[in-house]
Amino acid sequence: MKIAVCIKRVPDSETRVKIASDGKSLDEAGVKFILNPYDEFAVEEALRRKEQAGAGEVVIVTVGSAAAQETIRTALAMGADRGILLQTDKIPADGLEVARALAAEVKDSGYDLILFGKMAIDDYNHQVGPMVAELLDLPCVTAIAHLEIGGGKGTAEREIEGGVELVEFPLPAVLTADKGLNEPRYPALKGIMAAKKKPLQVKPATLGAGGLEVLALTPPPQRKEGRVVGEGPAAVLELLRLLREEAKVL
Amino acid sequence: MSDVLAVLEQREGALRKVSSEVVTGARRLADGLVGRVEALVLAAGSVQGIDHLGGFGADQVVTLTNGAFGRYAPEAYTRVIADRAQAGGYRAVVFAASATGRDLAPRVAARLGVGLAQDVTDVAVEGGAVTVIRPVYAGKALLKLTLTATPAIVSLRPNVFTPVQRPKAGSAETVAVHAPAGRVVVTAIKAAAAGTLDVAEAPIVISGGRGLKEPANFKVLEELAAAFGGRAAVGASRAVVDAGWRPHADQVGQTGKTVSPTLYIAVGISGAIQHLAGMRTSKVIVAINKDKDAPIFKVADYGVVGDLFEVVPRLTEEIKKLHG
Amino acid sequence: MAKGAGSRETFLPAQYQPPLPLDQLIIQDGAAGAGDRMELDVVIVGAGPAGLAAAIELAQLARRDGTELNIGVLEKAAALGEHSLSGAVVNPRAFRELFPDLQEGDFPFRGPVRKEAVYLLTADRRVRLPVPPTMRNHGNSVASLCEIVRWLGEKAAALGVNIFTGFPAASLLVDGPRVVGVRTAATGLDRAGRPLANYLAPNDLVAKVTALAEGTRGMLAQAWCEWRQVTAENPEIFALGVKEIWETKRALGTIVHTLGWPLPSDAFGGSFMYPLAPNLVALGLVVGLDYRDSALDVHGLFQRMKRHPLFRRYLEGGEMVEWGAKTIPEGGYYSVPTRRSGDGVVMLGDSAGFVDVPSLKGIHYAMQSGMFAARAVFAALKHGDPSAVRLGDYDRMVNASFIMQDLYRTRNMRLAFKDGFYAGALKAGLMTLTGGRFPGGRIAMPRDADVARRLTPGLRPGSGEIPDGRLTFSKVDGVFKAGNATRDTIPTHLIVGRDVPSEAADFYARLCPAGVYERIDSGLRVNAPNCIDCKATDVLGPRWTPREGGSGPKYKRM
Repeated sequence: MKIAVCIKRVPDSETRVKIASDGKSLDEAGVKFILNPYDEFAVEEALRRKEQAGAGEVVIVTVGSAAAQETIRTALAMGADRGILLQTDKIPADGLEVARALAAEVKDSGYDLILFGKMAIDDYNHQVGPMVAELLDLPCVTAIAHLEIGGGKGTAEREIEGGVELVEFPLPAVLTADKGLNEPRYPALKGIMAAKKKPLQVKPATLGAGGLEVLALTPPPQRKEGRVVGEGPAAVLELLRLLREEAKVL
Repeated sequence: MSDVLAVLEQREGALRKVSSEVVTGARRLADGLVGRVEALVLAAGSVQGIDHLGGFGADQVVTLTNGAFGRYAPEAYTRVIADRAQAGGYRAVVFAASATGRDLAPRVAARLGVGLAQDVTDVAVEGGAVTVIRPVYAGKALLKLTLTATPAIVSLRPNVFTPVQRPKAGSAETVAVHAPAGRVVVTAIKAAAAGTLDVAEAPIVISGGRGLKEPANFKVLEELAAAFGGRAAVGASRAVVDAGWRPHADQVGQTGKTVSPTLYIAVGISGAIQHLAGMRTSKVIVAINKDKDAPIFKVADYGVVGDLFEVVPRLTEEIKKLHG
Repeated sequence: MAKGAGSRETFLPAQYQPPLPLDQLIIQDGAAGAGDRMELDVVIVGAGPAGLAAAIELAQLARRDGTELNIGVLEKAAALGEHSLSGAVVNPRAFRELFPDLQEGDFPFRGPVRKEAVYLLTADRRVRLPVPPTMRNHGNSVASLCEIVRWLGEKAAALGVNIFTGFPAASLLVDGPRVVGVRTAATGLDRAGRPLANYLAPNDLVAKVTALAEGTRGMLAQAWCEWRQVTAENPEIFALGVKEIWETKRALGTIVHTLGWPLPSDAFGGSFMYPLAPNLVALGLVVGLDYRDSALDVHGLFQRMKRHPLFRRYLEGGEMVEWGAKTIPEGGYYSVPTRRSGDGVVMLGDSAGFVDVPSLKGIHYAMQSGMFAARAVFAALKHGDPSAVRLGDYDRMVNASFIMQDLYRTRNMRLAFKDGFYAGALKAGLMTLTGGRFPGGRIAMPRDADVARRLTPGLRPGSGEIPDGRLTFSKVDGVFKAGNATRDTIPTHLIVGRDVPSEAADFYARLCPAGVYERIDSGLRVNAPNCIDCKATDVLGPRWTPREGGSGPKYKRM
């Protein structure tokens, strides 16, 4: 089983967002970067599939800055075999450009599965995986929370509003992982040692400007001060009136 | 080149609620572009509810029917919608950022070779260009983008675009179409058990904290949730999850789930910043707490100071009357 | 028996403190329960200034000598620097010695100290004092210890040192009297201690030499001293510091230290406020844990302190961006263990008590001790003999160096304050004048836990502050700003005494700056995931033990 896992280096979710002086991007000073948590599910799934198959290779692919090598090493420490960094100073806002670079890299390499996290926790773009599938004309199931593979076919479950879809697909395929798919392993000490010596190829990424242009990055509006409606059960009627007439949520 | 295509959703032949939001968002763009809104729904047969869409601003509603369109068929849907988008020369294509829309919009965008702005909370036309706003970094910042390619493809965050009624009726037509058989097949849909709405998805979340005093008292909140008729989920603060009163899946907050329901009711929760991190993007926040100095009142839109064991049952009673 | 003991006016923390869990902290090599076993030449516990300086010096010595050394550094934080907290004004001498080829501007400092001021505060006024000679900082630089640690970590990694973040050392592995390595803490246990799907068993790291650079109140260092009966003339004593970083509208041009208010006169301590950048200020309050009032609350006092005009004029309109807390070993010269080395083991930095309170310095002593240890360890490895005899060279180097000279000069200064602030200040002044010769001899100190606490009702220094969320904050707000995202479902890592009476529950609740302990009707509630590893209650109450790697705070610029 040969599996590619496309990952992204993202700011830690606890990052305090400070806007850079260009007014369009995150001020990265003092920001800690991590492997996108949804990608951890994808890496874990790839490792389990390889272990289950008894043979194969797990290749980590990313588009990012030189610092993303560290993120690839994290995935290698979990157990992946090698890494490829498509290096760029700036990831375009248009996910299709990233998808094109990744598709060109994984195309014709004989992957049985190409895995992604369902989205990155920085830009919430939620699109690169299915775009790669479309560009390569591969079957794709997104946001899967359960997966079974056997006999060149797979069955996945994905959560939809008020239920779960059961989806069948043939291999090779592109899948994007949701929380619940598995419990990602922690890198073991031996894995961390071994990761230092695993191959990591760095090559320049070919990226266009794309069709999305950032105009501004701004802090969200502050909530307006609330008010105390009243005290005790007597305030319930007034609360309901306000929810109905002022807030219009009932 | 100024018309907007609105891609709607149906399940089991009934139009989904989010469809009227999609038409509303598409109408906003079409007004800016001075164009028409064509609403498109893919289904196995006729769809209930499409006659109302004109009222939300659709000039025309087209139902494309095919035996394979009963359930979501990703490849056939992608092909049919991309073909339609290309043939119709639309300036923009609008999806819902639902489970289906989030899967479908990127496929259509890639097929058309244009960019996509997913999960947007606002759309506008500025100087002829389509602009959107998207929350990024877990809602800690808003990104404003312009889409330079045609068509501009966007998906709208559910529950954000409040449907606006228009005194206008649209025309409707139904066309049977051919579609290729897909490799990816949805074989079944398992409906979630009644009453197990996830806190992350429920339009109303009622969360309890240490003020509930003991686990059995969450019954008071469950009764209030039930009064909302299956639209409400019961959440919990870290303190009570930590104490083992409620499962971790119900935890709202920094180390639990981030929720942004239409209505969030915090009961007996003091409002530690860790909790606020998980719910401050809720549309309307109500706090019920006996301590008038509790920090939760600083973020709540409406607060009631009092004994939750008196206030909540009264609220349940009144909500029942409202929905009765 | 416990509940009735002593009079009702006082309370003795030691009475309710569980013993150090030696059986857990020291285990025989080969004991069951470990997963992987790895062999290294040297394992260093703790990626702080001491441990990383040791790693760098060792790697440099090996490189110069053409030998290959396998060096591993274990760090409990998820990433470098995330558990490191200091003031800090740094003396650069250890940096110069460790990096002779680098210039002053290459070091990870925020900027040189230009102006300094010391004030004695009252509730609404301040009196400027002459800067005591021990506190003069000309030539030193303001820095963030987190940034120093990240920088040192990069240097170490570039030299081939293996840095394992997210791996706490939970036990010393021993063979006879010899330390042969450490066992790491398990990861992926549920609240009841049962393994989860992603369970990772403890690893055994065996090495010829183990260096304990755990920082303040190190558990393995304490355990080793108790096990080998290594003592000091005085017990180690500690202070608790609570610190915040603020983005301010107004620039601070001076490093500021204060004494007096809001501390009661029978507590030792003071505050600091340092400029990190034109709009970034670090400030904190440090209080000796030998305070007498059982209701004293350091976090609360710190919050009150910020209302003083001296601080408020900088902070108002700004934003608190980070919060943290940590203990400091304050015993000085007489509390440094008589030896800091043994068979297969050395003890560095704060774990050995190399802190000089009168000058508020520890980082350069920590680094220097790491470098001395590296030299002794390297020589011992060359001789193939990492025994106590060979490693004793480390102690000799430290004893002959400025580390012990500096500590000796100020040996009684902190100790003089045990009877209160004003008497202490007078004695400390005389000590300065006489170069440490007054009063002669050693002032004996009890352990902090053996200092009786007053239970007088009504006196509550620092408690009862109502935070406004703008200038002052609750403990829970603090924990959030510390970046603490400890998994909620890990087993508790705190060992609480049995039958803790309500006065002890109240005492722990006020002592702990992170809101871990709460007094509830039926006794004590322990919110263990709140813990930010400051170790204050390990000094005075419930014991701290290593827990799942990556737990605790995520400091960035502390």
